[in-house]
Amino acid sequence: MNTSSNGYVLGFAITVCVAISAMLAATATALGPAQAAAAEFDRQKNVMMAAGLLRAGEMKPQAELEKLYQNRIKEVVVDTGDGKVLDGKAPADADRMNKEGAAAAKDGAAKKAAETRYRVVAVAKGDDGKSTYVLPISGKGLWSTIYGYLALGEDAATVRGVTFYKHGETPGLGGECENPEWCAKWVGKSILDESTKLVGVIVKKGTVDPAIAEEKRHKVDGLSGATITCNGITKFVKSDLTAFETYLASVRK
Amino acid sequence: MTATATPPVKKGGLFGPDEIKVLKDPLWDNNPIAFQILGICSSLAVTTRLDKALVMGIGVTLVTALSNVLISCIRNFIPNKIRIIVQLVVVSGVVIVFDQFLKAYMFDLSKQLSVFVGLIITNCIVMGRLEAYAMGNPPWRSFLDGIGNGLGYLWILAVVGTVREILGSGKLFGAQVIPASLYEAGYVNNGLMVLAPGAFVLLGIIVWVQRSISGYSEK
Repeated sequence: MNTSSNGYVLGFAITVCVAISAMLAATATALGPAQAAAAEFDRQKNVMMAAGLLRAGEMKPQAELEKLYQNRIKEVVVDTGDGKVLDGKAPADADRMNKEGAAAAKDGAAKKAAETRYRVVAVAKGDDGKSTYVLPISGKGLWSTIYGYLALGEDAATVRGVTFYKHGETPGLGGECENPEWCAKWVGKSILDESTKLVGVIVKKGTVDPAIAEEKRHKVDGLSGATITCNGITKFVKSDLTAFETYLASVRK
Repeated sequence: MTATATPPVKKGGLFGPDEIKVLKDPLWDNNPIAFQILGICSSLAVTTRLDKALVMGIGVTLVTALSNVLISCIRNFIPNKIRIIVQLVVVSGVVIVFDQFLKAYMFDLSKQLSVFVGLIITNCIVMGRLEAYAMGNPPWRSFLDGIGNGLGYLWILAVVGTVREILGSGKLFGAQVIPASLYEAGYVNNGLMVLAPGAFVLLGIIVWVQRSISGYSEK
């Protein structure tokens, strides 16, 4: 056979591509459930890390961590419309209700609001018996949607921890948002100013000057080379906190 | 083409003298890192911790062996014009499969290794072995060649990873090995070892030692 004819080359290339694609599709389908379980466990670990129940890089057997999660963390569904906790609803219900709400919505804006109306808050009991409110946060960075958790202390205003566990930002630049050392800088920041107005946590370009009270209270150092990721984080933290504000206000009382 | 000289096929069973040679050569005499100076980039990147280095080494070993076998099986059908891109497609496929397995069963490590798993595709060792060996040899020996080269890469990574993790962060496999009392006595971790230059220095020393023992000199 003439293996250098154009027809043969084309046919061979197509065959190889189809064969490899089939192999990849089969692998992805077969491993899908195991990957989803691993991702879910990772999510739970991040909730616990944000809440301060688990230190970053700490190694514990999976069974122990799952037990810790079950004992200490309670997931509640919050209606961000009126800030009320819906009793007897499981996290899976939130997804379903959001989908139903979005399907029933009339125009684009209402649909968008309905898609994220019901959100799951993880309430963690610390070793001291105090509650920590772990809020899911997500939004656009530079390349991707960044997912994370922001944990507020019992006053529902002071940051106890933050994690970013899923993103597609550039490793070494925007990807550094998952660096535990950077996340540690968030601890102790306040999302409210003195007049209890919502400010959020602002990722500053450059380093925070601790001499300025306002910066010390609300801002964290930026990640160098990752301005757009940082701006994105600032923006979605603010907008998610705004959505949770009615709920948080009811907790503060 | 830097094709390795291959002796004519002799019948010697699955582990005849030729097969043993194919497997053993890359571990020392023809080591991909120390002798061929391939795969340096990834060996700088993943050796800050021993567990990362080992997983990367295992990954490269499996990928090299599997893609060697696949390419070797179809080597007589691959049109010469597009052989490099066909090799690349096969390597990419195998690497993605490996990445999928990591995501399913070693999620934490797959997060830490992040881009480096995908970058196995660009590891010169993989393409180098396909082009130099698998394109001209039968599947079983190509498999052994891939395993041998992967292991040759793995052990050097393991040595560099061990030294870097102990000197750089006082740990091994993420667990503290340098006692706290030593730190109280004024010992500090060597920051150079955490960064790429530390790996360069170590690799330089390994190449030097390996070459002075095996008696190789640049002509």
